[in-house]
Amino acid sequence: MTMVPIARRMLLTDRRRALLGVAGVAVALVMVLALEGIAAGSTRQISRYIDTSPADVFVSQKGVRSIHMSISVLPADVVDQIAAIPGVAWSEPILLVSDSVRASRVRRPAYVIGYSPGEPGGPPVVVEGTEPGPGEIVIDDRAAAMLGVGIGDQVDVMGRSWSVSGVTTGMTSIVNTIVYVRYEDLGTVLGRPSSASYVLVGTDGGPAEVAADIERATGHTAQTRPSLSAEERSLVRQMSTDLMNVMAVASLVVGLAVIALVLSATVLSRLKDIGIMKALGLGRAGVTRLVLGQALATVAAAFVLAVGLTVGLGAGVARLTPDIDLVIESASLIRAAVGSLVVALAGAALPLLRVWRVDPATVFRSAS
Amino acid sequence: MNEIALAAEDLHKTFGDGDIAVRAVRGVDLTVRRGEVVLIMGPSGSGKTTLLSMLGAMLRPTSGRILVDGIDLAVVPDSRLSRLRATTFGFVFQDFNLLGALSVRENVEFALNLAGVTGRPARLRAEELLTGFGLSRRLEFRPDKLSGGEKQRVALARALANQPPVVLADEPTANLESKTGHEIARLLRAIATDEHRAVVIVSHDARLKDAADRVLWLEDGAFGSFEEMATAPVCGMSVSPVGAPHLQTADGIVSFCSAACRDEYAALRSGRSTVV
Repeated sequence: MTMVPIARRMLLTDRRRALLGVAGVAVALVMVLALEGIAAGSTRQISRYIDTSPADVFVSQKGVRSIHMSISVLPADVVDQIAAIPGVAWSEPILLVSDSVRASRVRRPAYVIGYSPGEPGGPPVVVEGTEPGPGEIVIDDRAAAMLGVGIGDQVDVMGRSWSVSGVTTGMTSIVNTIVYVRYEDLGTVLGRPSSASYVLVGTDGGPAEVAADIERATGHTAQTRPSLSAEERSLVRQMSTDLMNVMAVASLVVGLAVIALVLSATVLSRLKDIGIMKALGLGRAGVTRLVLGQALATVAAAFVLAVGLTVGLGAGVARLTPDIDLVIESASLIRAAVGSLVVALAGAALPLLRVWRVDPATVFRSAS
Repeated sequence: MNEIALAAEDLHKTFGDGDIAVRAVRGVDLTVRRGEVVLIMGPSGSGKTTLLSMLGAMLRPTSGRILVDGIDLAVVPDSRLSRLRATTFGFVFQDFNLLGALSVRENVEFALNLAGVTGRPARLRAEELLTGFGLSRRLEFRPDKLSGGEKQRVALARALANQPPVVLADEPTANLESKTGHEIARLLRAIATDEHRAVVIVSHDARLKDAADRVLWLEDGAFGSFEEMATAPVCGMSVSPVGAPHLQTADGIVSFCSAACRDEYAALRSGRSTVV
C-alpha cells in the first residue's frame, strides 16, 4: 500500500530547517551516548586486573565483594589453608592498596599491587624491562607516558621512591592506573608483612564449587573471576549512575526542546497546507500520523547520525587520550533509541494540539 | 430528469450567542442535480463562504439538513466527515491550494490516497486525469513552476480524482486572466455535462454565468431574486463608477462589474432603460 510520502516531503521542503532539527537532536543524543560510552569503557577498564588474571577464584575478607572502594585484610596463613582444599591447584596472596603514583609534579591515582614475581598476580605482560626487584616498580605504558618516566626513572608511591624496572600495558583507565611492586616491599611499607589483601586461586575443577568449598572451609568470601568482575563493574556503575541520569535527562530535555521547536516551526509554516489536507479529507488520525511521521523521521535520522558521530568521537578520543575508552554498549543504544522515541512523541505533542485545531474551512478565502 | 446530488433544506448558521449572535445563513433551500452548474453570487459578507463550507461538510449548520447522495451531513459523526469529504466532494479553490511540497502528480495521487486508493492504481489514475487536462508534461513539476491556468487545471484534476458526485468551486477564476478564466469556466461546464456531476460555484465573476444553468443571488444569508441582485452594490463587486459599464435608469445611474451583468439586468428591465 504505497502512499504519497507526505510527511517526508513536508519535512524536506525546508531542508535547512530539517537538517538543523536532525543535528540538534543528534547532538543531544551524542551527549548521552558519549557519556554512557565513556562510563562503559571506564567500567571495563576498572575490572581489567581481574579479567586478565589467571586466577579462577578470588578470596577476600568476609563480606568484601569488590576491589574498588574496599579494604580486605586476610591472615597470611589462609593461603596454606586454601591450598589444602580439594580442587585448588594453586593459591597466591597479593596485597592491594589505593594510592597515587607521582613523578615530578604529575600525579596519577593508582592501585598498588604487591605480588611475588614469577607467580600469578603480577602484570599480565611486561612489554619493556623486567618484573620488579626489591625497591622497584612496574608501571603501565600510558601512565609512564603521562608521568614522563621510563626504565630506571624514579616514581613516588606510598611515601617512598621506587625505581621503574618494567613497563606493562592496558592497565590505565580514565579513573586510575595499576602499578606492581614486590609483595614483601608493600607488606613492609604497610607495616603488615604477614597479611594479604586477596588470595588468588587456580582450580582443577569447577571454580564455583571450589569457591563454595573455600567459603565453607575458611569463613572468608570467595568469588569466581567473572563474579568478582561483574561485582566490580556494578559498583562503579552505581557510583556513576546519578551523574549519568542527570546528564541523560538534560540531554533528553535538549532533544525535546529541539524537536518541539523544529516541528512547531514546520507545522506553523504549513498550517495552510494542513488546512487544505483536512479539507480534502485528511482526518484526525491522518493529521496525527503526518506530524508524528515528521517527528519520528527527524529522530530516526538523528539517532543514526548520533551513533555515527559517537563512533567517530570514540576513535578520536582514543587517539588523543588513550586512557579514555569509549564503548557503545547495546543497552546504551537501546536506551538512546527509547529516549529518542519519547522525545519524538513528546516533541510532537504541542504541534499536534495546534494542527488538530486547524479549521478545514480556512481553505476558502476570508469569510464573506 | 437528473437525480438530485445535493440538497439543502432550511439551512441556518448562527455564529455566537445572544447580543453578539451573527446569523450568517438564514433559511437557505438549494437543490442541485447531477449535470447541473449552479452559480452563487452575492456581495462580500453575504454568507457565501459559510454556505459553501456547510455544503462541503466543513462546517455544521445550526439547523437544517444537507443531503448528499441521500446522506444527511448535519448528523454524520465528525469521525466520518473527513472520509466523506474525500469521497463525495471535489474542491476547487480561489488560490488553487495545491500542496507545494508535492509534485503535480502527487497532488492528485494524495487525494486518491485519502479515499483509500493507493499505489499503482492511484498513480495511473492521477496520470490519466492530468493527461486529460493537458498536463502530461508537467507531472513531476512542483506547483510553483506552473502558470495560474495550469495550477487550476491540476486542482480540477484533483477535484475529480475520486469521481465525486459534487464539485464545489470557490472563486475558481478569480486569480486567472480572462482567457484562462474562460477555459476554466468551460471545463467546469464540461465536468457537469460530460461527467454528470453537480457543480456549485461561488464567485463574483460574471463570466461564469455563461457556464451556469442557474445563477443564485445570496444576500444577508438568504437567496434573493435576480431583480434584487441589480441593486447597489451591483453583483456584490466593488465597482468604481469611473469607466465601469453602467445603465441609466429612471432612478439614476447603476454601475456594473461587467457588460454581461449589465446586459442581463437591462434585459430584465427592457423598455424601461437605456444602455450607455
